[in-house]
This record gives sequence, structure tokens and C-alpha cells, in this order.
Amino acid sequence: MGQVILGVGDYGASNNPTDDVKTFALGSCVSIILLDPKTKTVGMAHVALPDSSINKAKAAEKPGYFADTAIPALLAEMTKYGCHKKGKGMVVKLCGGANVMDTNDTFQIGKRNALAIKKILWAYGMGAVSEDLGKNFSRTVTISVGAGQVTLSSPGRPNWQL
Amino acid sequence: MKTISHDELKEIVKSSPMLSASASRLLQLTSNPDHDLMDVVNLVKTDAKLTARVLKLVNSAAFGLINEITSIDRAISYLGERIIVSIALGDCVGKLFEKELAGYEAAGGDLWKHDLRTAIAAREVVVQGEMEISPDLAFTAGLLHDIGKALISDYLKDSAPEAIELITSHDSADYLDAEEKLIGFDHTRAGFELAKAWQLPKELAEAILYHHTPAEASEAFRPLVYAVHLGDNIAMMGGFGTGSDSMRYRLDSHYTDYISLTPNTLASIMLTVDSEFDKLEQSIASTGEDKG
Repeated sequence: MGQVILGVGDYGASNNPTDDVKTFALGSCVSIILLDPKTKTVGMAHVALPDSSINKAKAAEKPGYFADTAIPALLAEMTKYGCHKKGKGMVVKLCGGANVMDTNDTFQIGKRNALAIKKILWAYGMGAVSEDLGKNFSRTVTISVGAGQVTLSSPGRPNWQL
Repeated sequence: MKTISHDELKEIVKSSPMLSASASRLLQLTSNPDHDLMDVVNLVKTDAKLTARVLKLVNSAAFGLINEITSIDRAISYLGERIIVSIALGDCVGKLFEKELAGYEAAGGDLWKHDLRTAIAAREVVVQGEMEISPDLAFTAGLLHDIGKALISDYLKDSAPEAIELITSHDSADYLDAEEKLIGFDHTRAGFELAKAWQLPKELAEAILYHHTPAEASEAFRPLVYAVHLGDNIAMMGGFGTGSDSMRYRLDSHYTDYISLTPNTLASIMLTVDSEFDKLEQSIASTGEDKG
């Protein structure tokens, strides 16, 4: 069994049914999960910030880092596995985007990440069938490619499915 | 769950590693706003082991220098005082930073990574938030802020689900309060006891004690403590907490009295933390193989 480990700002895909696609400790970051039932491919991006206009050089080097560059990059990656280039027929799941308890909007990066991602997905005509966003804890995501099952974990809590 | 008495905590502190003489003097010196880099150079020169470590680091592959640096003066001015402080602390009390935090379900090394991210973030908050305090002092305070977790973690073993339940049911306002309810001490007070034993400068001791409640710090040190408070939260948001307590604290919004921060500045700080962390972690680790 292989593992595709994605760090902050990484994106990747697999169609090997024995693989797990995994990302650790999403704080305010959001994980975009695309499941393609037709090709049995799983794709994921680990997005840190909502908007690439803040640092174009970083976006060129690591498109997965920003919501607006991550989605096109992930879709392009998945075409290598025979998936539709605009995500037609794909199942979308979102998780992460936690926020610290704050009355000031500045620190709501998790919320801004989730919103930016949803807006871009809408532009593709895509929407999440399930999501576990916000709240105040970090999440680790493991997707088993074969079963298409998304498992979330967080220290001190029992695991749960998305 | 067994609570820790004040006397027991004193015993725990007594059996913890102590600062070396040069690390202790380095922290005193760099907390003084009037010091300059030559003072740091002169201090490091009195410690042969630290001098060797600094030269080894500056010439390591991580920095990719073409010409070897053989003078300690040049090495320190190249690396900057915050890296010298990191090495000096790692040398004498690295064991605490590397400890597995079983009570928080965090692996060995997680505390050090969190502390390093907090240090970088606190320094960037000072620089990019246009504060008038020493960025390097914010870095040092960030490194030390959570050291109390290494002292109380063993006593919190298997308590994470209960701590989370206390917060979810609103019986505890945050993880700090949950620690206090479970074992009678939270990690900031435990860290403060160690700070006293280490005879840390007051501003560093206050950064440890008040990093979750910065409004309670003395007025003179409040800007520094707010910088560490934000640095800590930024580290957790970036996915580098210390396990079960990550993000389960309150952010004090009065930071705006001291720090000018827009959403874009915050995003820029988070970007810098990611890139600086990769560089620093790799370089400091490359000379730390005989740490402990």
C-alpha cells in the first residue's frame, strides 16, 4: 500500500486502489478533495491562503498554496488520469479551515479560505457534497483511493468519516 | 486525574535541565535593548563549544557558502543573533524541546517545531506589524513560550479527550482552563516556574506566563507578549500545534492597540513563516546531531 503525502501548498492525485492520499494537520488550511467515480481517481490540494495576488512568484512555484491557483492546477493534474478537464462528474468534499476564537475578522483565514474555494468551484459548476469546515481544531485527512473513503482525525478525538 | 501541588511542581522544575552559563548570559544580554552584536560575539567567544557549533552551522550545506567562514565575528553577523540563541538553547535544554508530549498526543519534536514557527511568526509580527520592539527578542520569547508543556505533559497523559470534552461542553473556556481543572496547573504557570529557576529576564518570563492572556502582562512588556500571542496562534493556524490543544485557545483582539495588521499582512506573515521555517529547521538540525 502506497501513500501520497501532501504538504502545505501541495496537490496530487492517484488512481491506484491500494494508495492512501494523505495530508497532516490542517489548521486554517483547507483540503479540497475531488473524487472521480468514472476513472476512480482521487485528487487533493492543501490550500493555505485564499488569493495568489499577494505573491505571484510563490503561486508560480506552488500553485496549490492559494485557492485561486490550486483548483485549476489540481484539475489539470487529474486530466493525466483521464478525468474531465473541468471536473465534470466529480464529487467534491471540503475540510479544514479552522479558526481561532476571535472577535476580529483579520484572523478568520480559515473562513476566507473556504469561501474563496467555494466561489471558484461555483465558477466550474461544482459544489461540495459534504464538508467539515471551521470550528477550532486541526484535522488530518486520509483518503483510501480504492474505497473512495475520506477519514478525518484530530488528536484526542475518535476518527470520523467525511 | 492526579493534580500537581505547588511543591511537586518545584520538584519537577528541579529535575529539569538547566541553562548553561553562556545560554543564560546570552538571554540576559539580548534582552537588554542597548546591546549590540559585538557584545554577542564577545560572549560566544568565551564558550569554545558554542563557538565551534556556530562555525559548523554557518559552513553547513544549508547556507551554501562558497568560501568558508573561519572567524566567529563574521559567522555571527551572517547568522544573526536569533540563530545563535536557538543553538545555545538547543545545546543545553534541547531535551525539553524534543520531548514527546504524550499528554497532548504530540510526537517528539512537535514542541520544537511549534516553538520555532512561533518564534519566526512573532518576529515577523514585529517587523511586518510595524512594532517598535526588538524582532529578535520576540523570536527568543517565541522559542520559550510553551516550555511549560514539557513539564506537565506526563501528568496530562490520556487526558486529551476529557480536556476537549470540557471545552466542547463550555465547562472550560479554553485548553488552559482545562489543564488547570485536570491537574491544578496550566502550562503557562508551569513554564513560569521554570523561567524563575532559569533566572530568565522578566520580559521572557512574562511572555511565557501571559502568552494566552497578554492583557495581564506588565504594561512595558505587553507589546512583546502580544507579538508572541499572535505568533503562537499563527503557528497553530499553519498546522503546527502541539497536538490536542491546537487552536483551542482564545485570541485577544486587543492586539490592535499595539500591532497594525491587515488580512494581507497576516497572509504575508504566514507565507514568510512557511519559507523561513523550512530554511531554519534544516540548518539548525544539521548541526544538532549531538543535541541533548
